[in-house]
Amino acid sequence: MSPKTKLKEPKQVSSGVKRRKLADRIATVIVTIGGIAIILCIIAILVFIGIETVPLWQGVKSELVSSFILKESPDLASYSLDSPDQSQFPFMAAGTEQYKEIGFIVTNDGMVNFLSLKDGSVIKKQQLPGLEGTKIASSYVSENNKLYSFGTENGNILPVRFDFKMSFDGDKRSIAPAVNEEEPLNFGTSPLAIIAYEENEDGESAGAAYTTGGELLLTASVESASLLGGGEKKRITHNLTGSLEGSDVTALELDRFTWNLYAGTSGGKLYHWDVRNKENPVLLEVLNAAPNSNTPITALAYLLGDRSLIVGDSAGDVSVWFEVSEPDSPKGKVLKRIHDLPPMELPVVDILPSARDRGFIASDNGGNLNLYHATSEQKLASFKTDGPRVENLVYSPKADGIMAIDRKGKLYDWDIDNSHPETSFKTLFGKVWYEGYSKPEYVWQSTGGTDDFEPKFSLTPLAYGTLKGAIYALLFAIPLSIFAALCVSQFMHPALRNTIKPIIEVMAALPSVVLGFFAGLWLAPVIEKIIPAIFTMPIVLTIFTLIAVFAWQALPRRIKGRFKEGSELFLLVPVILLGVIVTLWINSPVEQIFFGGDYKSWFYNVLGLQYDQRNSLIVGFAMGFAVIPIIFTISEDALTSVPKHLAAGSLALGANKWQTAIRVILPTASPGIFSAVMIGLGRAIGETMIVLMATGNTPIMDWSIFNGFRALSANIAVEIPEAPHGGTLYRILFLAALLLFFFTFIINTAAELVRQNLRKKYGQI
Amino acid sequence: MHKFWKSGDPFIWLSGVALMFSLLMIGGLIFLIAAKGLGFFWPSDVAVLGLKDGTSVMGVITGHEKVNGYNAAPDAPSIYRTQVKIGNRDLYGLDFKWVDDDQIVKTDYPKFAVVLERREWGNMFGFIKDVSESGTIICTGNEKCWPVLAGLVPQYARIADEIKSIEKGAIGGINMKIEDLRLDIKGLRSEGASQEKISKVEAEIKEQESLYKGQEEKLFSLYQDFNKEKFVMTSIDGREKEMPVGAIVQAYRPNAMNWLQKSGLYASNVWAFVSEDPREANTEGGVFPAIFGTILMVFLMSIVVLPFGVLAALYLREYAKQGVLVRIVRICVNNLAGVPSIVFGVFAVGFFIYGLGSTIDGIFFKEALPNPTYGTGGILWASLTLALLTVPVVIVATEEGLAAVPKEIRDGSLALGATKFETTWKIVIPSAMPAILTGLILAIARATGEVAPLMITGVVKLAPQLPIDGYFPYMHLERKFMHLGFHIYDVGFQSPNVEAAKPMVFTTALLLILIVVALNMTAIIVRNRLRKKYTTSAV
Repeated sequence: MSPKTKLKEPKQVSSGVKRRKLADRIATVIVTIGGIAIILCIIAILVFIGIETVPLWQGVKSELVSSFILKESPDLASYSLDSPDQSQFPFMAAGTEQYKEIGFIVTNDGMVNFLSLKDGSVIKKQQLPGLEGTKIASSYVSENNKLYSFGTENGNILPVRFDFKMSFDGDKRSIAPAVNEEEPLNFGTSPLAIIAYEENEDGESAGAAYTTGGELLLTASVESASLLGGGEKKRITHNLTGSLEGSDVTALELDRFTWNLYAGTSGGKLYHWDVRNKENPVLLEVLNAAPNSNTPITALAYLLGDRSLIVGDSAGDVSVWFEVSEPDSPKGKVLKRIHDLPPMELPVVDILPSARDRGFIASDNGGNLNLYHATSEQKLASFKTDGPRVENLVYSPKADGIMAIDRKGKLYDWDIDNSHPETSFKTLFGKVWYEGYSKPEYVWQSTGGTDDFEPKFSLTPLAYGTLKGAIYALLFAIPLSIFAALCVSQFMHPALRNTIKPIIEVMAALPSVVLGFFAGLWLAPVIEKIIPAIFTMPIVLTIFTLIAVFAWQALPRRIKGRFKEGSELFLLVPVILLGVIVTLWINSPVEQIFFGGDYKSWFYNVLGLQYDQRNSLIVGFAMGFAVIPIIFTISEDALTSVPKHLAAGSLALGANKWQTAIRVILPTASPGIFSAVMIGLGRAIGETMIVLMATGNTPIMDWSIFNGFRALSANIAVEIPEAPHGGTLYRILFLAALLLFFFTFIINTAAELVRQNLRKKYGQI
Repeated sequence: MHKFWKSGDPFIWLSGVALMFSLLMIGGLIFLIAAKGLGFFWPSDVAVLGLKDGTSVMGVITGHEKVNGYNAAPDAPSIYRTQVKIGNRDLYGLDFKWVDDDQIVKTDYPKFAVVLERREWGNMFGFIKDVSESGTIICTGNEKCWPVLAGLVPQYARIADEIKSIEKGAIGGINMKIEDLRLDIKGLRSEGASQEKISKVEAEIKEQESLYKGQEEKLFSLYQDFNKEKFVMTSIDGREKEMPVGAIVQAYRPNAMNWLQKSGLYASNVWAFVSEDPREANTEGGVFPAIFGTILMVFLMSIVVLPFGVLAALYLREYAKQGVLVRIVRICVNNLAGVPSIVFGVFAVGFFIYGLGSTIDGIFFKEALPNPTYGTGGILWASLTLALLTVPVVIVATEEGLAAVPKEIRDGSLALGATKFETTWKIVIPSAMPAILTGLILAIARATGEVAPLMITGVVKLAPQLPIDGYFPYMHLERKFMHLGFHIYDVGFQSPNVEAAKPMVFTTALLLILIVVALNMTAIIVRNRLRKKYTTSAV
């Protein structure tokens, strides 16, 4: 709006002013809201990442979906629940399918009752024909809770599988249950009180049974090795009662390979037989598994994978055992008590493992249930029934539900949300004794080849790797960059400084992927050849430089005067190049003299170090390269802005330039240099591509400069594309990101505060 | 001697070593990458090495090294060996061969040696035996056949272009339409629309399919043309290989070319590198899609980051009440620039892809589910991630620029009756423009070189389509894309044939460095220019 119109049309002006005022107000509102929103958005990043990790720390959520009295169903009303004898409970086993719509109960007369878990009504009944009129005396569950076996009163073990055929009509799901009986295994004629039964992958089956007569029998059905390929099944039976030395067996467990048989006794002992050779079972060891000899072992079960044994006793102790290598023992391995879980209040009655993870449920004599996780040694949740005692336990196939039937015949059906059982502070940061390891260790191994793989989520080796890389990078970068900054700021003409600084700044802009590629593909193989030269280089360069200085001082003043202040240092370029050539030239003599001709075997034999081609030295170089310009620029600023009169005073008092620089300037600027180093450290910690490309990415923990490592950042980049959304790995990677965020944020804030204080201090000098 | 140490010179020079060493490292790195990268395009002479055992090796000499290396006994005689790129991957299996120097009897550079750049199997080195058309031999021998072959290659290149344009253009477009229509039907079905509507769409599909048939026939006849003329090559060890002329991209005889011709070929090779699609799992051909993807992503990022960054800076510096809170916010924003880029990537995966993306899919792209449209990595999410990553850079730079505008100018404007908005818009922002632009260019430079967050938000090693094409809606922001930085990582570290791919990686690295350094330089120059301009006009 030009002043002319203003004069001519005053009315327009007032409306114009109004409009302008309005525009002003709108702009204020937009800028304020927009500005605040953007800043909040940025801060929301942190909040969002934090929120994604919250479920890791949340316990199990559970909800009792339904419960009903089984006796109310007409089909089950005839069974008596009042017998005072504990072994006379009529419901021998229970189970469900993956959608938890249909459950089943097997009664002691061999009737399978499929019932709706909504209301308890029986949908389908089917008699087990293999029972031939006798009754079921005991039961056993194995193969990830899919194979049920029943010990009968006439000495058979009857294996049964329950099949649920799913069919879909559009979105509607219908489930057709069926019972598949398998070949029974015979143990004689006495009733079987306690049984264990497994079928291995070769089609062999084996069972152990403790009869009411106090005999422990092992029976196997193996394919007889005949020349014509056989196919004939052969039954082998052993009586193991002798090796029990008169103790009563209270629990039996066999692994799914049919290799190891365990028997718990009323005296608190655990007998371990090696039954790999069915013809000749060997008693390997007898262990005291309970606190004293009055405490019977009451429950035995294998965790997912059938390598870790869960032991429960009548003192309420729950522990997890597995075999650890011990070269002196007969088998080379001995069973050890690895994890002690929080005990139950009353004697443990039953233990049932999860088919999905390393969790299990245990019930006690008072009708309490505990949900445990073995690796993290946590009690995840507890449930209470009206009790007095839980007779049947069911863990749903997807590990999202638990069912229990108590002594009074009441069925409880809980839904559980147990997505991240394996995370605890200890498993994420502490040493954990994993299955198959000889001692507790920090391990990161997020995925394995098999379903029963035990995930190992220790962030410690990754954080260690991050710090290792950052420290080696700084060891390389700090001396170079600080001395370079000192040199540029103190001993060089400002004109030279103005040309050198942008060059170093361009170095800061080099993409890290280029540095990583260069280090990994070019530098690593080259350095591998010249390791001795790398170590002799600093010495040779120092000697050459001192010679150069000597020569310089000997030069006549006339020639010296031609150099602009500081530009004489460019004479060092040929000196350095010469030094590098000389070190390369003396590389093999040096290797001969100091490393016996082959540095790799020397390192290995004398220092015990393994040399990896992509190692911390390479990362140190490459990441140092990325960090040098950052430290250089900031410390150069700090050094240059030290007030000039300090230097002038020092020089006037007779100190030489070096003394002034090192004793006056450097200490004054030291907070600035500190902050430079901190920012460099922050960059090194967060750097991803260089560590990804120039290390072997193996999550090992040692400080050797010749080994690689795996850093938090590289780990995230490698694993997050494979991590299922919302899974434990996914959230742990978010946690790793959060850790990185905090590392760098704290470091940078510290640096920033130091720098601001320094600014104030300079103002006062 | 005492004087020598007392002067302090030795220490000063030693600190000088630190500086010079750093400078030499930068220079060395750039020199090495440039040398390795630029040499890649030069049509080197093809050598034939006659060996002691009577056999010969033919190829381009690519390296020479001491076998006993630096680890041998000092008195051992030096043994050297030569690396030859022998090509002919289909015959030999390996691209490179090491030949001990003491085995070499003589080295020739035969004039008739032909280098074939092929669509598959990498380069071929050999001699022409004969050329045939539909089974009848037209010519035999090197001398006669070379002009024939050299004349045929450009013709076939035109056919190849035509095939490519049909495959990627016409057929690709029809496929996309059919796919869209199928999804429409799925959508209609789930809505419970009438059969009439559905059959209408089905008719459209039929129509498209018949179009497809037509194109396919055209393609078929082109392919027949493509295999009409064939020729036979003899490798140095006497093996023969017959192939259609269409299988080669270009043929040349480096040993018969003079310096000028080679330069011409060099230039055309460089042009092909930046303008063509990659071949053979990215180890050959060009990087055009990667350049395109990088630029488009940076462009999208700039569109987002500039207004938001400037708005936040304006708020912090001009509108917010300066106090402890704003100071804290400023430190936070400052520090955010130092937060590792992978953290932003993780955020993007959780928030953009699984959060926003899945929501968008659920609302707008229901019929395509369970295949995600926006619920997976794509150029939009990658750009937004980089925008978040670089917004602190723009905020900090803009704030610095705003702070540098003298208070007198503002006061003057306000005193003349301008409102705060007018002052900010017409006086303050123009004066701060150099700083804003610097911030933007620095943000672009940082974004161009960044790879880690992109790896998890939408960059792929080979994208079948560019994010922009001629089909509605032209800009496909949900598509995955290629990126120069990721290209380096992928080809250098995940390629099955790293040794053969190395020169390609060096070239790509050089290209990326050039772009980044050029952007940084522009930032510096623009800043200086505008600073001069505005300091003169403002005072």
